[in-house]
Amino acid sequence: MWKRTLILFSVLIVGALLLSACGTGAVETVVVEKEGETIVETVEVVVEVEPTPEPVTRTGAWVDTVIFVEEPSSDAAVTRILAGDIDLYAYSISEAPIAERIYAAEELSYYTSYGSFNDITFNPVLILEDGSLNPFGDPQIREAMNMLVDRDYICQEITGGMAVPRYVDVQLASSDRAGLADVIAEMELKYAYNPEKAEEVISGRMVELGAELVDGVWTYEGEAVEIVALIRIEDERLEIGDYVSNQLEDIGFTVTRDYKTSAEASTCWISSDPAGGCFNFYTGGWVSTIISRDEASNFASYYTPLGWGIPLWQAYDPSDEFFAVAEALANSDFETYEERMDLLREVIPLSMEDSVRIWLKDDAGIATQRADLTLASDLSGSTYGATLWPYTLKYDGVVGGQVTIGMPSMMTQAWNPVGGSNWVYDMMPIRGTETHAIIADPFTGLSRPQQLESAVITAQTGLPIGKTLDWVELEFVDEIAVPDDAWSDWDAENQVWITAAERFPEGATAKTKVTMTYRADFPANTTWHDGSPFTVADMMFMMIVNFDQAKEASPVFDEGTVPNFDSFMLAFKGFRWVSTDPVVIEYYTDAYALDAEENITQFRAWYPSEAGTGAGYAQGTAAWHNMVPSWLAEANGEMAWTDDKATALEVDQTNFLAGPTVDIQLVKLDEAIEGAYIPYEPTLGDYITADEAVARYENLKTWVERTGHFWIGTGPFYIQKAFPVEGTIIMQRNNNFPYLADAWAGFDKAPIPEVLIDGAGEVAVGAEATFDVFVDFEGAPYVNADLDMVTYLVFDATGALVMKGDADAVEDGYFTITLDTSDLTAGSNKLAVIAVSKNALVPVTETFEFVTTE
Amino acid sequence: MSDTTISLDPGADVIKNRGEVLSSFVRVAKYTAVRLVVLFVTVVIGIYLLVLVANMGGYVDEIRRGAIREQISMQIYMSKDPQIVALSAEQKNQMVADQVAIEEHRRGLDRPFIIRSFAFLQNAITLNLGFAEDLVSDTGSKQVRLILLERLVPTLLMWGAGNLLLFFVGLFVGLFLSRRYGTLLDRIVIALAPTSSAPAWFYGLFLILIFAGVLRILPFGALVDAPPPESKILYALSVLKHLVLPTTAIFISTIALSIFNRRTFFLIYSQEDYVEMAKAKGVPDRLIERRYILKPTLPPILTDFLLTVIYLWTGAVILETVFNWPGLGRALFQAVGSFDTAVIVGAQVIFAYLLAATVFVLDFLYALVDPRVRIGEEGKRA
Repeated sequence: MWKRTLILFSVLIVGALLLSACGTGAVETVVVEKEGETIVETVEVVVEVEPTPEPVTRTGAWVDTVIFVEEPSSDAAVTRILAGDIDLYAYSISEAPIAERIYAAEELSYYTSYGSFNDITFNPVLILEDGSLNPFGDPQIREAMNMLVDRDYICQEITGGMAVPRYVDVQLASSDRAGLADVIAEMELKYAYNPEKAEEVISGRMVELGAELVDGVWTYEGEAVEIVALIRIEDERLEIGDYVSNQLEDIGFTVTRDYKTSAEASTCWISSDPAGGCFNFYTGGWVSTIISRDEASNFASYYTPLGWGIPLWQAYDPSDEFFAVAEALANSDFETYEERMDLLREVIPLSMEDSVRIWLKDDAGIATQRADLTLASDLSGSTYGATLWPYTLKYDGVVGGQVTIGMPSMMTQAWNPVGGSNWVYDMMPIRGTETHAIIADPFTGLSRPQQLESAVITAQTGLPIGKTLDWVELEFVDEIAVPDDAWSDWDAENQVWITAAERFPEGATAKTKVTMTYRADFPANTTWHDGSPFTVADMMFMMIVNFDQAKEASPVFDEGTVPNFDSFMLAFKGFRWVSTDPVVIEYYTDAYALDAEENITQFRAWYPSEAGTGAGYAQGTAAWHNMVPSWLAEANGEMAWTDDKATALEVDQTNFLAGPTVDIQLVKLDEAIEGAYIPYEPTLGDYITADEAVARYENLKTWVERTGHFWIGTGPFYIQKAFPVEGTIIMQRNNNFPYLADAWAGFDKAPIPEVLIDGAGEVAVGAEATFDVFVDFEGAPYVNADLDMVTYLVFDATGALVMKGDADAVEDGYFTITLDTSDLTAGSNKLAVIAVSKNALVPVTETFEFVTTE
Repeated sequence: MSDTTISLDPGADVIKNRGEVLSSFVRVAKYTAVRLVVLFVTVVIGIYLLVLVANMGGYVDEIRRGAIREQISMQIYMSKDPQIVALSAEQKNQMVADQVAIEEHRRGLDRPFIIRSFAFLQNAITLNLGFAEDLVSDTGSKQVRLILLERLVPTLLMWGAGNLLLFFVGLFVGLFLSRRYGTLLDRIVIALAPTSSAPAWFYGLFLILIFAGVLRILPFGALVDAPPPESKILYALSVLKHLVLPTTAIFISTIALSIFNRRTFFLIYSQEDYVEMAKAKGVPDRLIERRYILKPTLPPILTDFLLTVIYLWTGAVILETVFNWPGLGRALFQAVGSFDTAVIVGAQVIFAYLLAATVFVLDFLYALVDPRVRIGEEGKRA
């Protein structure tokens, strides 16, 4: 009996395991009493279970192949996606008619990004060299210009709805925008389009300045007041320039329109003295490819002589009050976040009063793709600017497949990691070949770890640094001493590091220390595309090249790197390899960022991939052994990494992908194999053996013979072939990529909240009014812990801001606002609710109108 | 062509003795030398004027200085790098100033334009095309030679195929119609001539829409399929497939007018007395066309042909853009837009040399194809 019971029990267990693995239902094993005997029996029980998701075992990219092709026309690109010829167009489309096609097509989806913005830049000199009057030399006239231009017209009519109005110098996709929502709303109200008021102010000031309105035309000392409009012609700034000119002509100014391209215009607004009067206003345009984490320094940069060291900026003359606040923000002269926000609230109205430039719009461009295709899209840099694109590109419900990506142009410059192409469209395939120490979050801009495991930021007590993410620790100490054995500079002659003790015999301190710890399995888990193992020598080589290029004694000295390097050395104190297993690095510097996470950079982590800051490998990734051929050629004056040095030497810029320099590199590679060459041997000789060097070079040679190029990385894709003339790059999935494909799941859509307000449409003055606010994302309530703020503003019938506050959280995604209406007068009021997620820095504003009655 | 003379002596092409041979040789050699010198001087003057115009008399230097300053300023003043942000305004200004000075020196902008203009001239004349300012060849090189050569092949393929097809079809159909004046076919061609008022890219858009967008039997554009086939034969076939629409666009856009022009041209010749005489004598139509109409009209046809060939060098900007074709036209358009004078001058220098060589060769070709033309006999008429 016992034996039968045991067999039955075993069969049951195996059966249960098999059935549960199938995941379709359940067979439950129960113990039952039967006629005084305890036996084990199977009982069919219907149990509703959630289907267990397939565990992801695939590593690296979701798709197998990515092909990049050139398509310069966005209109044609949309047609090609609809025809199935390409799958995604990596370009931010801002033309309204094309956007309409995308919105209307069910086969297409799109991502919005907010990376570019426009202003009108004024010449601030009042009396020009020829004695003529420049009205924009007067701050009150400049301030009134805010009300003379209709930003809604610009956004709706000129850009066809592909932009949102902008009044203040705070980017839409930035961490500061949300916290300043109330003061921004006040500015939007105060400076709303009001041509009558603008004309009144401008006319009054013109008369005070000695001008006269003769037959509807402003004159000064008998001559018509001429405004030279320097209008850029490449984009919608042409229409904007004409519109602003028309507005000025309508109030009596004589406008001369000077239409120019970027290069032509720069001779005027950049190079010339504004007193010369080659322009009175200029249609400016600016681009940010990353989400801004700090807008505080903008005011000194854009409004005061502390900004650019060119004649226009040096002519700026802000009020003492404005200058002091702007300077304090630029120098981080505050101790707490609250203090900083107070300064920002103070500086914004002052900047509007100064208005050496008036802001017009934030562009809201869209990048489109097949509806069943998703990928990460940076809120500022779009799909092609998102570092996470290779990890998130995926067809819905499909693993594998091929994606053809169209882009306006590619391979427009030589590719090399030191000073090669930084063209945004080239960077997209380049990023597919890289891994990183850290990756910028496409929705918040904050650094998240990839190869790093953790980091500790040690800051001097009193520095206004804060942290957001859990992987970073932040601590404050009174003093940070730089260890004597930290490496602090490079001796190019002897090819050895100079220690902190040698550079600072008296000892040195730093304002911050960043301690970065790599994952325990790094670097053993990482392999270069040519099969060579990733080692710490790859990190060392990158850092040595960074220093060596700026040293006159170096064979690869590049004069153009010196100013950048000198400025870097002003704050840099040293770094120290605490350990190589696991890799732990300390970095000592006086420079710091307000976000603790932003103090960790690729460069500081010694990671040999795109640093994007002009330091390290600014434009890509490389191992030491695929850098050596170009290093040898550079040392021999046959080619150069940077375009400027190549121009000066009249040689070609190093290109790892194609062209004449590939042949030169092949020759150098053979030389390196023959001599078992170890670069910077006095230092790297401790990390590289001759056998390893030859083995790596051989790997590379095989790779070049197979692919025709020198570009290798460690990323989820490798470049199988590049066809520069045909404008095509083929990338294949890297089977050796160490991390799971779903490591960055959830980054394919920005969690921007959706807000809905409900409440009574009519309220008696004095009565309490309660409104419900629902904050959702894709139909599900937003988790309150992920919301940075849900705040409200109330505007009365005159448009004045009368109340503001935070909504009361009831449960996830549900808030209430209770208003005391006793201060309101009868009429129509507007309740604006602003919600901002911690995970996506685009504030969402929803309004609700209600009437107050007596 | 002003230097050639037409001899009315029907026996002028017969050399009767050695003295005449020597005399002819000296005459031709002298003519050749003078012609070469005149052409060279013309080319030199033309190139120097081109250098001055392309550089706007030195104003492009100002533009370039402005662009350098703007680019470096953007990099440094707008940097979010904590290292740069930490610098004081003076330190940033110094950094920009140093960087600008280095760049201006490297690009020769610290030397007066007038001195550099002669260096440009010398390089241009010796075909040392040097390096571009900004433009980069498809393979990433800034050598002007490579920038132009890489684009030449696709241009020759598209523009050459289209124009050669146009030239020969126009020639032979025009000749054919000139003998069938007033027929239905002739009237149809005349009626279709206004269709040539629309440019090739206009037809190209429709062709793309129909054959690529709707029927999906031909590609939207580009030189070759993506990914390009590995096999050379398949690659060539792919290029041919991609050539169909642009070549057709070129052909459709001009063929009616081309036939109309040729037909009118030949019509004038076909009404000459000697043609009527040949007809009256019963000479076959084909022989009349070839010997009595085509042969005397060869010099202008040859001129037309050779000029068509060298004008291929200029490419076709809009058509190349519509078909996303990596041709010279787009490269030159980019060069003009970015004031890349090295590329502009380089391309035009080659064009100038080609034009001079064509003019020179045509002198001899005229003499070969038309017995009435003799080289170097200026003013000596029978």
